[in-house]
Amino acid sequence: MRAPRSVLKQQFLKKWMMGLQVFGSAKQSMSILERKKAIKLSADIALAATRDGRTCWSRAIIADASKDDGGKVLVQHLLSPESERLKKACTGLVMENKRVRCKKILKRSCCIKRVRKGASKVVLAKSISKRIVKRRTQVLKSLVPGGEFMDDISLIEETLDYMVSLRAQVDVMRRSLAKATEVVNGK
Amino acid sequence: MINRALLPAGGGENMLHCTDMTVLERQRARIKWQQEQQQQFQLQQQEISYFTELADVFHQAGFHEGGLSEVVTRSVKPDPGLVDNGWNNDHVGGYGVGLPYNNGLGFELNYGAISRTSSCPPEVVAAVAAATVKGSESVVSDKISSGAGRESSKKRKVDKIQNNSKVVAEEDTRDKRIKGCAEQGESKITEKNNNKNSRNNNTNKNNNSNKENSDETSKDNSKVSEVQKPDYIHVRARRGQATDSHSLAERVRREKISERMKYLQDLVPGCDKITGKAGMLDEIINYVQSLQRQVEFLSMKLAAANPRLDFNVDNLFAKEAFPACSINFPTIGMSSDMTNPAYLQFNPAQQQLLACCGLGMGIDPPDMALKRTTSAPVSIPETFLDSSCFTQTHPPPTWDADLQNLYNVAFDQGRQTSFQTQPFTGDVKLSCLFLSALY
Repeated sequence: MRAPRSVLKQQFLKKWMMGLQVFGSAKQSMSILERKKAIKLSADIALAATRDGRTCWSRAIIADASKDDGGKVLVQHLLSPESERLKKACTGLVMENKRVRCKKILKRSCCIKRVRKGASKVVLAKSISKRIVKRRTQVLKSLVPGGEFMDDISLIEETLDYMVSLRAQVDVMRRSLAKATEVVNGK
Repeated sequence: MINRALLPAGGGENMLHCTDMTVLERQRARIKWQQEQQQQFQLQQQEISYFTELADVFHQAGFHEGGLSEVVTRSVKPDPGLVDNGWNNDHVGGYGVGLPYNNGLGFELNYGAISRTSSCPPEVVAAVAAATVKGSESVVSDKISSGAGRESSKKRKVDKIQNNSKVVAEEDTRDKRIKGCAEQGESKITEKNNNKNSRNNNTNKNNNSNKENSDETSKDNSKVSEVQKPDYIHVRARRGQATDSHSLAERVRREKISERMKYLQDLVPGCDKITGKAGMLDEIINYVQSLQRQVEFLSMKLAAANPRLDFNVDNLFAKEAFPACSINFPTIGMSSDMTNPAYLQFNPAQQQLLACCGLGMGIDPPDMALKRTTSAPVSIPETFLDSSCFTQTHPPPTWDADLQNLYNVAFDQGRQTSFQTQPFTGDVKLSCLFLSALY
């Protein structure tokens, strides 16, 4: 169905443009890298803002962006019309995640078990596959923003949502790039 | 009968065909549902729950015989730090895509919350779906899909797989939402499955055999907050399988993971053949990485194409409908009765767009009429959008709110007033041009 996807895209685009205006109002000229960073940052924050803080990854993005000044401005710009609660939630998230992370480190250090005694092939294969899965989950956790603090199940859900949003983001950016180059070429 | 049960909660006919529903209708349904949520908040009990209806269905299907594992668990404890009573209602209202939920909007949050509370008894299980569907898919699917399909199809993750006839998926999403809406604030998990109530009298092999079955239905998230009963997950072991709590919990967790993997399989292209967790994870990782790289690359190209970043304002013209009008405003200037030539003077970059407009205009209206499900008035570029566009019902209410917010953000008070009285001549033309690009 087109409608919800396009609604998401429109929302994203709108917020993205709002964020870019913040940069546009800055009068100094920026290098290409700075511009790229600005574009990407506002795109990411816009993407996270479309989720209204309902997903962990969006909150993680916003929390990360709020850490430095430039991101903070953007966050204020994009989020303040919508929800104060969201911003509080995002700042709270950082604390929460730190706590979770410390607990996990503690847990992990306590139970490091090396189960290699299983001689049968089945057990061996199982343990190997478990290891592979574990390693890949860790990679996935590093990919999805805020993923390190989630367990497997919620990680997959977050990945689902994140993938959908990423896809929308890529679509919108690609189209706007096409239009931009079109206009440039038309000049 | 399920339809009827959902009607009061979901706004009836609007929910029947998710594929055909416009955002407007969904918004309407959502608002209706919001209001009903207010009413439900007053009520303590709900006589006929969605689940009892389904319970009848299941009874008829007779799925629970024959040693199928039944997962009777339910709701979810929200993360107290992040979720409060306000969340669910806000989710109802604030869901980005504007889809009305029958219940349990914040289930993702809640799931995350659950998983973090490691001290709890086994977490919410994906319930009936896994077990029941196996037993009687054909019988149940019709009844369930009519009910669950409506809800699950609105699930944002499921909008990719709406047409998916997997009843498991629908069931799962429905159940998850229904579960997810419950807020207990306790360290125990409530059992929300009313359709199990009648059948839970006899043996449960679960160690946590608290027979306290709350009467409230899981679909009523408002009253959950007021119930503080301790809840447990009831899991029935399958034949020939271990029955201790650990393995049961493990199995429940595995089933949950595999269900979600199925969603991912639909989402990630080219994953039909892959069956294992490891392979799926690999594909997922590759896909996410490629998407992220694309974003980087595109942003780099955009930066290269825009010498001054103000170019994006033109893209802004290009891609938005009503919202674009408001954003364009500061660049165009607030002077009243601005005609297109005036716009040309104001911003040379727009000239190209205006030139293109004349060419594109003829093509776009039919495009927009066809593709634009959310904003019909835009399909008539000749008629200038005026302030009435904000009062039209077509733009979803959230858009109005967003527009208002935009005004607050970007404009002074004085500008706002003049803004609303002006016809959006050039804006419409400019925005109309590239609307189709959005689809």
